Amino acid sequence: MVLNLTIRRWVIGLLCLFPLIYMVQAMVRVQLGEWDLLGPEPGKTLTHFSGTWAFNFLLGALAVTPVVRLGRQKWLMPHRRMLGLYAFFYVTLHGVAYLWFLLGWRWQDLAEEVVERPYLLIGTLGWLLLVPLAITSTKGWQRSLGRRWKALHRLSYIVVVLASVHYLLQIRAGWFEPVAYTVLTVILLSLRTKKSF
Amino acid sequence: MKKPGNFTGLFCLSYSTRYGVVMLIRKNRFPSISATEITPREVFLNRRKFMQGGLAAAAGLSAMKASALVRPADASVNVTGPEWLERMVVNAKESPFGRGEKAAPYSAATQYNNFYEFGMRKTDPYENASEFKASPWVVTIEGECENTGSFALEDLIRGIDLEERTYRLRCVEAWSMVIPWVGFGLSELIKRCKPLSSAKYVEFVTVERPEEMPGQRSVFSTIDWPYREGLRMDEAMNPLTIMAVGMYGDVLPNQNGAPLRLVVPWKYGFKSIKSVVKLRFRETMPATTWNELAPQEYGFYANVNPEVDHPRWSQASERRLPNSLFSPNRIKTEMFNGYGEQVAHMYKNMDLRKWY
Repeated sequence: MVLNLTIRRWVIGLLCLFPLIYMVQAMVRVQLGEWDLLGPEPGKTLTHFSGTWAFNFLLGALAVTPVVRLGRQKWLMPHRRMLGLYAFFYVTLHGVAYLWFLLGWRWQDLAEEVVERPYLLIGTLGWLLLVPLAITSTKGWQRSLGRRWKALHRLSYIVVVLASVHYLLQIRAGWFEPVAYTVLTVILLSLRTKKSF
Repeated sequence: MKKPGNFTGLFCLSYSTRYGVVMLIRKNRFPSISATEITPREVFLNRRKFMQGGLAAAAGLSAMKASALVRPADASVNVTGPEWLERMVVNAKESPFGRGEKAAPYSAATQYNNFYEFGMRKTDPYENASEFKASPWVVTIEGECENTGSFALEDLIRGIDLEERTYRLRCVEAWSMVIPWVGFGLSELIKRCKPLSSAKYVEFVTVERPEEMPGQRSVFSTIDWPYREGLRMDEAMNPLTIMAVGMYGDVLPNQNGAPLRLVVPWKYGFKSIKSVVKLRFRETMPATTWNELAPQEYGFYANVNPEVDHPRWSQASERRLPNSLFSPNRIKTEMFNGYGEQVAHMYKNMDLRKWY
C-alpha cells in the first residue's frame, strides 16, 4: 500500500464512523419532523441498523487474519485492532439502541423481555465477552499478557457464533440475511481450524 | 366465466337483512340512505381535494391528525381502481365504528406492512407491488354451497353498500396500527353464496402470480404458495368480519391487498388474508399457511390474546405505530384486541391456551 500507516489509520477510522454518522443524522431529521424517514418504527429500524453494522465489523475484524495470510495483504494487519474496537463500539451502540428505543429504559420489563426473547441473552453474552477484549486491545496489555493474549482473544470466535445464533433465532419467514451471515461466520471460523492462525 | 345472474336475485335478501346484522354491533340503527343523498363521485373528489388543501396548509402537528381521515394529496402510492369500484368506495357510508380512534397516517399504513408475496421486509410490499394488476379480478366460490363458480368482482359485490370501519389491526409481531377500512360484512357475501348446512368453515386463498409478485418467486421464502387462511363459519358471519375493498376513503393500494381482502380485527393480522381469489366452504378445518409453517407458533384461531404468548415473544403488550424514536408507544394488548363484547361468546367453552 502506498499510503503510510498513519494516513490509512485515519481514512479507515473515519470510514468506520459512517454508519454512526448516518444514524445520528437520521435521528436528528426524525426528531425535526421527518417522522417517517425511517418508517413507522424508527427506533426498531435504528436498532436493526446498528446490529447489522456490529455484525459487519465483527466479520471484518475476523476476516483480517485470513486475508493477510491467504491473500498476502500484509498492510491490513495493523488495522485489525481498529476493526475489532469498532465491532465492540457498534455492538455497544446496538445494545444502547435496544435499551433506549425499544425498551425505553423500563428495566422492570427487562426480565420479561429476556424470558420471551432468549436471543437478547445471547446478544448480551456476546457483548460481555467483547468487553475484556476491548480492554486488553492495547499494546501494553498485549505485552503483559504474552501468549495468553492470543488465547483470550480467541473469545472473538465465540462472540461471532453467538451473534449468528442471536440473528438466526429471529427468523420468521425470510432467512436469507441471517443464514448468509452464518455462512460467512462458518467460513471465517473454518479457515482457522486447519492452520493455527 | 359464469355470469352471476343468480346473485342479482339474492340482492334483495341481503339488503333486507343488512340492518339487522348491523344492529347486533351497535344499538343505534344506521340511517338508511336514499339514492339522492349519496354524494356523486365528482363532488366527493372535490371535497377530498378541498380537505387535502387544508391539510397541506396546516403544518406540522395537525398534519398527522388530519391525514388519518383522508389520503394525503402527496401520497406517493399509486391507487387507481376501476371506475365502478372507486365510485362504490367514495360513496361508502360513515359508520360509528372506531370513531375516536386515531388512524395511522396513510404513509405508515401503506409503506410498512407484511405481505410476503411482495417480499420479506416491511417496506417490500410498497416497493414491489406497483406491477400488480388488481383489475380485472375474478373470485372463485367453491365447496359446500349452492352458488359455486367464478365471478367478476364487480358482479360478486354488485349492490352491496360499503361502509367505513376503523379497526385496530394487531400484528402477531406485537405492533399495531389503526386503519380506516372501506368494506362490507363478509356475511353478506356468504349469504349470496348460499352455503349448505355442511359448511362449517370458510377457506380463503390469495392469488398466485409469481410474475407479478416477487416474493412468490423468491427462493428464500419458506412459504408454500398460495397463501391460505380460514375462519370458522360463525367467525366468518360475525358482524365485525369484513371484506375490505378500500382504506382511507380510497380503493386499496396493491400492497395492502387490492382489490379484495379480509379484515378480522380480533385476530392477529396474518388471518386477514389479502388479494383474495377463492372462497371455499368446507366441512373440515382448512390448513392455513402460517399454521403449516410453524404450528407451535401460529394457531388456526390466532385470536389476539395477551395471556397466551408467542413461543418467542410476549403478546402482553404491543407497539402502537407509528411510534417515535424515544418512545416505543407500548400499550397493553387487550383480549380479542378489545372486541370481546362482539366476539367473546364464540369461544365461551374453548380453552384458548390450547386453541391459540
